[in-house]
Parts: sequence; C-alpha cells; structure tokens
Amino acid sequence: MNVVSAMPAPAADVRLLSGNHACALAATAAGCRFFAGYPITPSSEIAERLSLELPKVDGVFVQMEDEIAAMAAVIGASMGGLKSMTATSGPGFSLKQENLGYAAGAEIPCVIVNVMRGGPSTGMPTRPSQADIMQARWGSHGDYPLIALAPASVREIYDETIRAFDLAELYRTPVVLLYDQVIAQLSETVALGAAHPRGRVERKWASGPAADYKPYAADGDAIPAMPLPGAGYRTHTTGLTHAEDGFPTQNPEAVTRNLSRLFSKLDGRRDAIDSWETIHCEDAEIVIVAIGISARAAMRAIEECRAKGVRAGLFRPVTLWPFPQAALREAAAKAKAVLVPEMNTGQLRLEVERVLAGAPVKGLNLFSGEAIAPAQIAASITALAKEVR
Amino acid sequence: MSIDTAAAFDVTDYLRKQMMPHFLCPGCGHGMALRALLWAIHDLEIDKDALAVVSGIGCAGRLSAYIDANTFHVTHGRPIAYATGLALARPDLHVVVITGDGDCLAIGGNHLIHACRRNLKLTCLMLNNEVYGMTGGQVSPTTSQSRLTTTTPLGNAEPHFDACALATAAGAGFVGREVTRHVPKLKELIKAGLRHEGFAFIEILSDCTEIFGRKNEMGSSPEMMMRQKSELRPSAYRDTVDTPFRANDLPTGILARNDRPEYGAAYRSAAAAARNGAR
Amino acid sequence: MSGSPNSASEAAPAPASPAAAVEPSAEPLNVLIVGVGGQGVIMVSKVLALLAQAQGFQVKQSEVHGMAKRGGAVFSHVRFGRQVWSPTIPKGEADILIALEWAEGLRWLPYLKPETGIFICDTKRIVPPFACLNRRPGAPLRYSRETPADVISQVGEGYAIDATQMAEELGNERAANVVLLGALSTALRFPAADWEQTVAKFVPKKTVSVNLDAFRRGRAWIEEARVVTPAVESRAAEAPAPADPAYRVRLDIVAAWCKSCDICVKICPERCLRLNAERIAELAEPEKCTGCRLCEWLCPDFAIRVHLEDISAMAADAASEGAPR
Repeated sequence: MNVVSAMPAPAADVRLLSGNHACALAATAAGCRFFAGYPITPSSEIAERLSLELPKVDGVFVQMEDEIAAMAAVIGASMGGLKSMTATSGPGFSLKQENLGYAAGAEIPCVIVNVMRGGPSTGMPTRPSQADIMQARWGSHGDYPLIALAPASVREIYDETIRAFDLAELYRTPVVLLYDQVIAQLSETVALGAAHPRGRVERKWASGPAADYKPYAADGDAIPAMPLPGAGYRTHTTGLTHAEDGFPTQNPEAVTRNLSRLFSKLDGRRDAIDSWETIHCEDAEIVIVAIGISARAAMRAIEECRAKGVRAGLFRPVTLWPFPQAALREAAAKAKAVLVPEMNTGQLRLEVERVLAGAPVKGLNLFSGEAIAPAQIAASITALAKEVR
Repeated sequence: MSIDTAAAFDVTDYLRKQMMPHFLCPGCGHGMALRALLWAIHDLEIDKDALAVVSGIGCAGRLSAYIDANTFHVTHGRPIAYATGLALARPDLHVVVITGDGDCLAIGGNHLIHACRRNLKLTCLMLNNEVYGMTGGQVSPTTSQSRLTTTTPLGNAEPHFDACALATAAGAGFVGREVTRHVPKLKELIKAGLRHEGFAFIEILSDCTEIFGRKNEMGSSPEMMMRQKSELRPSAYRDTVDTPFRANDLPTGILARNDRPEYGAAYRSAAAAARNGAR
Repeated sequence: MSGSPNSASEAAPAPASPAAAVEPSAEPLNVLIVGVGGQGVIMVSKVLALLAQAQGFQVKQSEVHGMAKRGGAVFSHVRFGRQVWSPTIPKGEADILIALEWAEGLRWLPYLKPETGIFICDTKRIVPPFACLNRRPGAPLRYSRETPADVISQVGEGYAIDATQMAEELGNERAANVVLLGALSTALRFPAADWEQTVAKFVPKKTVSVNLDAFRRGRAWIEEARVVTPAVESRAAEAPAPADPAYRVRLDIVAAWCKSCDICVKICPERCLRLNAERIAELAEPEKCTGCRLCEWLCPDFAIRVHLEDISAMAADAASEGAPR
C-alpha cells in the first residue's frame, strides 16, 4: 500500500488527525487499557489524548514522576494483565532503556512509542530526527531481541500502533513504535477502522494445573504462556537470568537455552513480523532505502527522477527491527547502487551495508534539524546514477 | 481453646520451600522481617493468590523469591513504580513492595516521595540495614555518620536520611517504623499498614551482621540484634553528629497517619462519573 | 460553707434493698474507687464527687494516679457529708468499695467496713507482667486465685459484676467504669436523673448515648441481683477459673536451613538451646523450655518451629485407642 495515496473508503470514519492523536486512538482500539507517561516534546499529545480516552473505556492513565517510572509502571500493569503503553522522545527513550530490557528479558508485552527528535542529549526538542534507529534496537544493555516498527504516515501510525499491540501480546515482547517529529505532529485525513481487526489478539495465558506449570517453559512455539496474577499460579518474575521455573539461575545450559529461545521466538516468525513497502524496485537501477518522513520525500524524488529517465525505486522497511533483510536483498537484487537518505549520520546505512554486503551503498545524511527535501534526494539519485552507469 | 494460640501460623506455609535455605547471610535481620510480613498476611487471611510482592535489587529485593505468592523481582530502585502500575491495573490484589535503603532512598528516592504524595494503596516495606550489602558493603543513604563501609574507609561523612520523616513530609497515608527484634510488634505494624487504604510506608530496622557489623566491630549477630533499639541507631535519628547516644530513644510504631483519598479509587470513581456524564 | 444538705430531702426514694440505703449523716460517707491506669477510676470518682457536691455535701476527693499510665494501680478516695475533715479513708472505714479490676478489688478489701461495707467489683482481670512467674502458656500466675464466690461471701454486701463484658456488649469496652457507676448509684440516694446528667458532662459527646446505656445497665443489674437473691446474700458473675494445661514442648529444627548465627541460643530466656558439634541449633535442655517461641520468631532462617503438645489430650487419645502411638 502506498502510504500517501491511501484514500478513505466512503463509509469509513474519516477524520483529520495528527500522528500522535492517531497513535492514541489506535491504542485504545487495540485494547490498550493502561498508559503511563511523562511529558516530553514532541510526544506529549499521545499522553494528553489518552488521559481523555482511557477513562472512557475503563482504562487507566497515569502521569508518573519520571520517564523511568512510566516505563516501570507500564510493565507492572502488563504483568497485571492489561495491554499497556508508554510514549516518549529522545532523552526519555534513553531513560526507559533499562526497564525496556527488563520487559525483553522477562517477556512482558508492552508498547513504547519513541517520537524521534534531534539529539544528542536535550538536542532539538521541536525538530525532527531519525537518529534513534540504532538505539531502538540496541538501547538496553545485554543481548535481547525486540520489534521496532517505523510508520511513515498518520494512517500508518494508526495501523502500526494496533499491530504493535498485536505483536507485543502474541510474542510476549516489547514493541517500539518509532517515528519522527514531522509525522507525529502532522495532521492528515485518515479513515479509521477500515483496515484492521481491532484488538482481537489476546496474550497466551497459562491454563491447566498449577502444579505442572513452569512460567518459562515453552511448548514448540517458543512462547511461554503467561501467568495471570490471581489465577492460582503464584510464580516468580525476575530480571535475573532465569530457568524455566522462573527462578534465578546461572546454570550455563539453562542460560543458553533461555536466551536462545528468546531470539528464536522472533527469528522463527519473520514471515509474520517483517513488513515493508517497495515502489518501482523491479526495474530500479538505484534503490532508495528510507523510513518515515525521509521515505515520503523519496517517493516524490523517485517520480521526478523517473520522469527524467532515471529508474529509481524505494524500499521502505515498516518493520524496522528485526530488519526485513530478505526482502531488501530481493528488492535490491538488480540495483546498481543503493541510496540511504536519513536524518542522522548514517545509522540505517550501517544495516543496509550489512544486509547487502559488497554492494555500493551511499548515504544522504541531514542532521540539521530539517527534514530531507525531495529535491535533495533527487539530486543524489541523479548523481549516483551517473556514477554507476 | 488451644493453649498454643501462636501455633496456627506456620511460616513455611507461606514460603517456597524448594528455594530454602535462603541465600541471606547468617544472622541477617531480613529473615525476621520476612517472617513478620508473612505472619501479618496470615493474620489478615490474605489469600496467597491475591498477594503480589514487588521487590527491587539488593539483599531485600531477593526476599520476594521466597514468598509463595505472585512475586516480581524488578529493576534497581523501581519496585514502587512497577507496583504502581500493577496496583492501578489490579485493584483486586494486595500489592506489597519490599525494598532496601539504597533501593528505596537512593536510586529509587523519587518514586518513594511521589508514591507518598499520590497515595495509591501499596504497602511498602523498606528494610534498612544501613548498607549496600549485596555489592559488598558500600555506604548507603541511611548509613550513620562515622560508620566504616567499603566506600567510606575514613568513616561516613554524609548525614543520613530519616526515611520516615521523609515519607511523612511527602504526605504518606501511613508511616511506621519497627525493629526486626520485635517480630510480633512488627507484624502488628505491617498489619496496620496492609489495612490502610492508601500508601503505607514502613521502615524496618534490620541488621547486616556479616558485612556492616563486622566492618564496624559491632559484635556478633545476637549482640547486634539485642542492641537494635538501645545503642546502634539513636544517634542516626533525631540527634546530630556530635551529641551523645540517647538509649532507647528511637521512635517506633505508627509515626504518622493521614487519611486522604486513595488514588486508585479516586481515579476510578472520577472516570466512572465522566463516563456516566457522557451518556 | 454550709454543712447541711439542702437537697437530700428531695432525693429519690431508697432502692428496694434496705442495706443499700446509705445516707451520710454526722459521719461522712466513704467511697473508695480502685483499678488500674486507663480504666477510668478518676472519672468515676470525679462524677461521684461532683454529684455529691451538687447535692449539697462537703466533698473531699483524693487520688493517687502516679501510676496512671496504662496498667499501673490507681485509687481514689471520695468522702462526703456535712463536714469532712480528713481527705483519706482509714482502713476498715470505707462504706463502699468500687473496684474496676478484680485483683485491685481484693487488695483494697481491708479498707471496707467489715460488717456493713458494700463491695462492687468488676471481674475483669488485668494481669501485670510481674505476676507472670514463668513463660509457659497457662502457667500459674502470681495473681489472685480467689473466685468471686469466695470473696463475696466474706463481705457484708458484695457484687462481682462483669462490667467489661456488659460494656463490650453495648459496643464500647471503655464504658465499663460507667457500668460500675450505675451499680454504685443504687447504693446512694441521689436521683438517677442527676447521676445521668453528671455522667453526660464527663464523657465525650460522641459517647454520651453508649455511656448512659452503660449506666442504666449497671444499675439494672444490681437491682435485678437484689430481687433474685436476698439482700444479705451476694451475687457473683460467673468467671471460670483457668485450669493449668498439661503440655510438652517440642522443637523442630531444620538442620539444612540453620546457618549457625547463634541468635536463638543467645536470646533464649531459659538458656536451653545450644549449637551442636556441627554448629547447628539444638534443644539441649528440653525440660527448661517453656515454648515461648522467641527462637522461632527470631530465627532469620526459618529453621525453628515450636510445638506445644497437649499431654492430657494425647493421653486421652491414647486411652481411647488403647495403645500409645
């Protein structure tokens, strides 16, 4: 689906929404019943909207004392059985990392929205950036898998927020929703409720006799059934490396088995997790790889270039992590060169270079606090095409 | 009536026996604190399935693993924040936080003061042994002045925190303090805390005998425990550095009560009112 | 100050029992009120003193409440009449002895007039710590062993009243002293309405109603007691004497959990525990163990469990099964 040309179906609930408000509405539609947050530009509208929406559906909104507490409360609420979310930006995302690692290790479903703004440190709170791509994947210490989604339009924020909850609940993993300030505060006409079965996904809850139950024992699918407090299982949940019974262990075999399962949980489901969009990649000599607002600029640039006879195409990862590498390899198979426009010094390019090892990959990097303009991308495509012809 | 009225409580009914013996050092006061909590749970007839214990990192944080309940051992300093989410999500559970002096007052201090202010129903037990025991005996926010630790080789120069005064000032609904030596009194204090509709903060003065006690030549485990109220800490509470010890001057029991609206109930009733108004 | 009563003639008619018709004349009337701190002895005496003064008598009330912290002995002398010189009541001179606690009542009995004194005593027992001779549950106490019947038979007119229970039934255990005031009121010719007004003045506003109920309950109990039994006899509330249970203490010590910290050994009041050769706690002198549970409570490792085994019950079981288990 082309994200910018998606037109509302006639009967749908059509609204003019900002990206952040779309995220908030999608959350309640997905069944989110708990939000804990802390004010930070440019994500605060998500919290503001949910403080209004959650009480309507018997959910709980709480503004915590800091970003760390917000992440902790979200995990706490999820351990209690509610679909839970927090939203933040740059500095707040850094502060959430330790507890995000806890959610990954203890396998507590949750959704974390990071609206990217200029960094490092306090950086440029009101300016867009795409510089948290690597942090989203590797931000917490230690080895762990997670899912990160990178929507590029208001409509896609809505859909991907719902998908974020579905993936989090299905696979017992934290899911990061990563988008930039431009689409966060951009208002677009969107039709709600047309595309996605809303909030149907339920976590795999433990059932059966408590005596036989082991909270981290997974039958074939690598996803352990989660104990609901009060349901009689009385288990232990810890951030320490744990065995299948949930209790801490440093037994090398148990440690290896558990971490391997954690990775296999997502690795074995790439068909369901990976998502991307390709435009004109079939015959493209230059393939552009971009996310978010940069991808939207690239779409315009591709049209301009094609009009001038330069065959350019776009590969847009929607699931950013795990990176849809097989799809990129296929999309770029015939390309002479790859261009990666991004609002940072080259984070996405690193991953593209890894995936397409040996292929010529160029970056177009803007980290001035401005979005990359289509003309800049078009110029880079033209120059790159000349270089490789 | 049986002559043995205390017999009805068998602590092992509330322990995960497969985890025993626990990993705490010989003479560690935390075991007594744990007994008092489990005894209080027993007395109040709280169903183990309806009990959730959230603990942080450190020696105190490890206690949750031994309790036969829904237990959550979370990140350093954050158990109150995790418990806030859990209690808001699940008002049907009794949520108890077990934390230590470093966990609660240093890295987690911000969560404590805001939990006191917010007044969500939680029972927070802060086990104060004046030291970071698990990491080898470093100075903590409650270490008495002049004490030796592995990071105060010249004697602690920093003033300590009076956690109960802090919690009271921050508006906690219930504030109490007791020593581990008085297990039945501690049990009664925890019961009062568990019954309180709001945030209950209870400081439990415990002994780190193996690390802190040895470093400061405070005598054997029994000796340290016997002196809990008389010698060890009075100078750390109420008195300033150079004034002499005031034996038995440690304030214990319920130190503050403040019946403000419980946050979770207040939130839910405001939300329900808004929903009804919208119809 | 006038020495003559100006309102005594308006007093209510005497209660049914002639023995209770005490009227101060030339000699002052002596009322001794005793109990322990926290029970409200002083309140009882103040109500009486104020009422007597309002009825036109000269009143002297002297109290000792140096031990008025909860549990300490407290007493108060109230003397009233046309002229009262001495503030305290000599031994054997009290017309009425009101006791809020059983043993305190017995302790002050020598102050009562031997032939005519009226003894009104709550059967409530408050055992002071120093009366505990030994930590064994149910062990003999250094506390009065006399039953109410024993005592009542020794005084002119005696009432052992379970005022605490009555107050509890009314919803406030602390109103026991007012139950006793009600009982006292039957022994004096002051109008009941005046009693009630004075009581109402002394108690917190919220508790006026429960206290007046308590007053009437105490008054009714005595009057009923007089109707049921001849005045010369006395009525005692039933208070079963506790029997000493026969039991044996057994300690379960989980060696695998014991970490040899020595706390149980050092805190045992009977010094009956020790660490064995493997430095595991053991009960070295079982016969000395009272089963106080300090070791169980203070063992940081949950390694000790105290069992008090009822020997009499075991013997009965064994007898019923015909063979020891």
